[in-house]
Amino acid sequence: MTSRETGDGRRETGSGRKSVSFRVVRRGAALGMIIALAASPVLGQAAGAPNTQQPTLDLTAVSLPIPAAGKLVAITNATIMTASSGTIEKGTIVIRDGKIAAVGADVPVPAGAKVIDGTGKYVTPGIIDAHSHSAAEAINEGTLSITSMVRIEDVLRQDGISLYRQLAGGTTTLNILHGSANTIGGQNAVVKLRYGLPVDSLMFEGAPPGIKFALGENVRQTNRNLQPGQQGRFPRTRMGVEDLLRDAFTRAQEYRRDWQQYDAKKKAAKTAAERTALIPPARDLELDALVEVLEGKRLVHCHSYRADEILMMLRVAKDFGFRVATFQHVLEGYKIADELAKAGSGASTFADEWAYKMEAWDAIPYNAALMAERGVVVTINSDSDERARRLYQEAAKAMHYGGASEQEALKMITLNAAKQLGIDKRVGSIEVGKDADLAIFTAHPFAPNARVDMTLIDGRVFFDRATSPTLEQLIEQMKQRRPRVASEDQ
Amino acid sequence: MRNAARWLPTAARYCRGLLAAAIGAAAVTSELDAQAAAGTFVIRGGTVVPVVGAQIPNGTVVISQGKIQAVGANVQAPQGATVIDATGLFVYPGMIDSGTELGLTEIGSVPGSTDTREIGDFNPQDVALTAVNAHSELIPVTRVNGVTTVVTSATGALMSGTAALIDLWGWTPDEMAIKPRVAQVMSYPSSGGLGGRGGGFGARPQGDASETASRQVRAMRDFFADARAYADVKAKVAAGGSVPNAPRANQAMESLVPAIRGEMPIIFDVNTIDQIRGVLTLADSFKLKVILRGPRDAWRVADTLAARKIPVIVGPTTQVPGSDDPYDALYAQPGVLAKAGVKIAFQTSGASDVRDLPYNAALATAYGLDMDEAVKALTINPAQIFGVADRYGSLEAGKVANVMVTTGNPLDVRSNVKYLFIRGEQVPLTDRHTKLYEQFRARPKP
Repeated sequence: MTSRETGDGRRETGSGRKSVSFRVVRRGAALGMIIALAASPVLGQAAGAPNTQQPTLDLTAVSLPIPAAGKLVAITNATIMTASSGTIEKGTIVIRDGKIAAVGADVPVPAGAKVIDGTGKYVTPGIIDAHSHSAAEAINEGTLSITSMVRIEDVLRQDGISLYRQLAGGTTTLNILHGSANTIGGQNAVVKLRYGLPVDSLMFEGAPPGIKFALGENVRQTNRNLQPGQQGRFPRTRMGVEDLLRDAFTRAQEYRRDWQQYDAKKKAAKTAAERTALIPPARDLELDALVEVLEGKRLVHCHSYRADEILMMLRVAKDFGFRVATFQHVLEGYKIADELAKAGSGASTFADEWAYKMEAWDAIPYNAALMAERGVVVTINSDSDERARRLYQEAAKAMHYGGASEQEALKMITLNAAKQLGIDKRVGSIEVGKDADLAIFTAHPFAPNARVDMTLIDGRVFFDRATSPTLEQLIEQMKQRRPRVASEDQ
Repeated sequence: MRNAARWLPTAARYCRGLLAAAIGAAAVTSELDAQAAAGTFVIRGGTVVPVVGAQIPNGTVVISQGKIQAVGANVQAPQGATVIDATGLFVYPGMIDSGTELGLTEIGSVPGSTDTREIGDFNPQDVALTAVNAHSELIPVTRVNGVTTVVTSATGALMSGTAALIDLWGWTPDEMAIKPRVAQVMSYPSSGGLGGRGGGFGARPQGDASETASRQVRAMRDFFADARAYADVKAKVAAGGSVPNAPRANQAMESLVPAIRGEMPIIFDVNTIDQIRGVLTLADSFKLKVILRGPRDAWRVADTLAARKIPVIVGPTTQVPGSDDPYDALYAQPGVLAKAGVKIAFQTSGASDVRDLPYNAALATAYGLDMDEAVKALTINPAQIFGVADRYGSLEAGKVANVMVTTGNPLDVRSNVKYLFIRGEQVPLTDRHTKLYEQFRARPKP
């Protein structure tokens, strides 16, 4: 089913085709629209282009106003799965100015708080998807294999309905990565799903920058059908991938040395004339990002499948003195879990995808649990607009395959992802002082009939099933408009 | 199904053992020669969920000679039976996936390993069972999760050929087959482009595409009209009538005769409301027995489908809804259909992910499908839809013993299958994945 095979950053069809500008208007915020237009060339284009989509009666329109910044909110009498310190029965969470102010079984509800009754409900930290391609206009700069200069942030968009649907699955933070066409694909963007706000509001303020690397079949492009006369691109083998990486980081080292020498001379200069006489090295945006990697200021997220290519990447990183923050997919990570743990690299994998290509042939669903058992910080990601809507179900597979504990499984879509992205001081667990990014479920999130009722980001309700257009509601509306709808169909 | 191990002389079995040990955990084997055991089994102490009828706490299920011999609260255990203590566990019938490519594909991106799409639009004569690899590594991976029976077929052409209903157990495709030709599989033309399974949710109609679709519909109608004529002539000849200029035997036409006579159902892979309406019109014109599969829009005509008793195979629920549909449309649709009285079953439409079948159904229970209905849609409903409810789909005396013993509700991801029986044989719960897991879990520290 190629339409569902997104294990490689291939986009799924069928999502996010709605006109973005239209949706912002429909939110009833003309001002938001103007801000959005000013802030984003992408939105500007969408609005300026002739609207070929017919904005007929849209029953799916989200009727919520842009969420108000709640000052004081309390979720009461809920089962609270903290992800860091177990589960609290009949607990209360107090949110003040978007942060968790108190959590516990005996926490009083402060006067004036807006109360969300959590009776019978389960609250988890907002789900963090450690591997996403949503909200990006483009994800593969396919002309070269090293494109460390391109940035997801430059092509972010609100992406229409898809982001909303992920919110409806309790997902609140995404690590938006480039695709896997290139050895070094470009700079990532960590975002919060502040759907409906201007596109700039998506960025997770203060999140450490990252960069996407990729190894294996996709980089080699061996699954790609070349047109007659079209020449394949270097590299074509896993050896070539290593060569490119070493070449790039060697150039980055030399570039850094040139700048260090220039800076030193500048510092040593005694007069203004001496300083002016110095010529700085040419600025190189490609190498700037790699120097940040060398200096540990930019997290490497490396798409990978086979054990051999992962070990290669670890050797290259060691030789150049940086750490690979996460291996993405890392389907054979279980074969070299000890090496991953020793290198301090995280692993972000699929729950049970396999056999969609040769390098996924040895993928096993026990991967997450086995790596965790060996001390690797593991996450389960979506890499898909579809799976991002039900990561809680995917996480439970770590219990099914390999017997991870409930908390360990929950951490794989919350706290561990926050750790991998360097944002665990802000999000990932329900703890005092952290952002009030929360998902409220109708049942235990791993239960078969679990559904998200409400999703909060920074204490603001961004999804509420009670006010969202559902299929049931749509059918009801259709019946009212056309009472004999069923018989007409006959 | 006979006891697999019995067929192998001891020496041969020994050699196989050595070979497996030499190759290690990644060895290519379908587990058939492992510890599969026929015999008489008594599963007792568990909560028996027969699907048809009420749950039986502390119930007993007796299996022998490939069949379920008895189910109940007060059942006598036969002499010499192997007793399985299911205290704290649950006993369910094996699950049925109503739409897969299992056995026809191994590795998606490796063309040499896939037999899912023939050249050409009209291949009703193609028989999926022909290409089912009984030793696909995907088969044990699927059944250890409790999926014991699947419909498998090629897809994507206007007429892709006949699907096979198979148990996930057997040395050859013929041994696996329950119904070698269970239904014709067709895709109703989509003005959004063909592209398999009703065209997907992607492209919208654009001039040429919708022109192509209408041409395809005409071609399809012509094909059915020819098949009708062919069947009529055939009937006349069979009745001893003289038919001038009788057509020569034609494989494609021959294969459509059961369907055009309404004896064999046709699975129509559809998506949009236009396609569904098109199928209903076709069914009226040619008196076809149709099953809708994979629709996005069936909820729009739920009452019609219920009134016309047209079954709907839903799923995968794990897709993004149409861009104009509510966020929960695909999750909620099964519940809407079931409540309207439509008989539903589930499909994954895949191969490597067929093991996720119960979790597809789980998503529907979160959005309105009753839990008992969901279990039926994985067991007795597909058995009824495919005409094997006398032998499959529930725990009842006399039925084929496809039985799983689980730690909980099989729709709950946290549950595991503890024991599995297919055709009365106890099936080992090992596969390529458990072997790789055990192998690397035991890897010494480097």
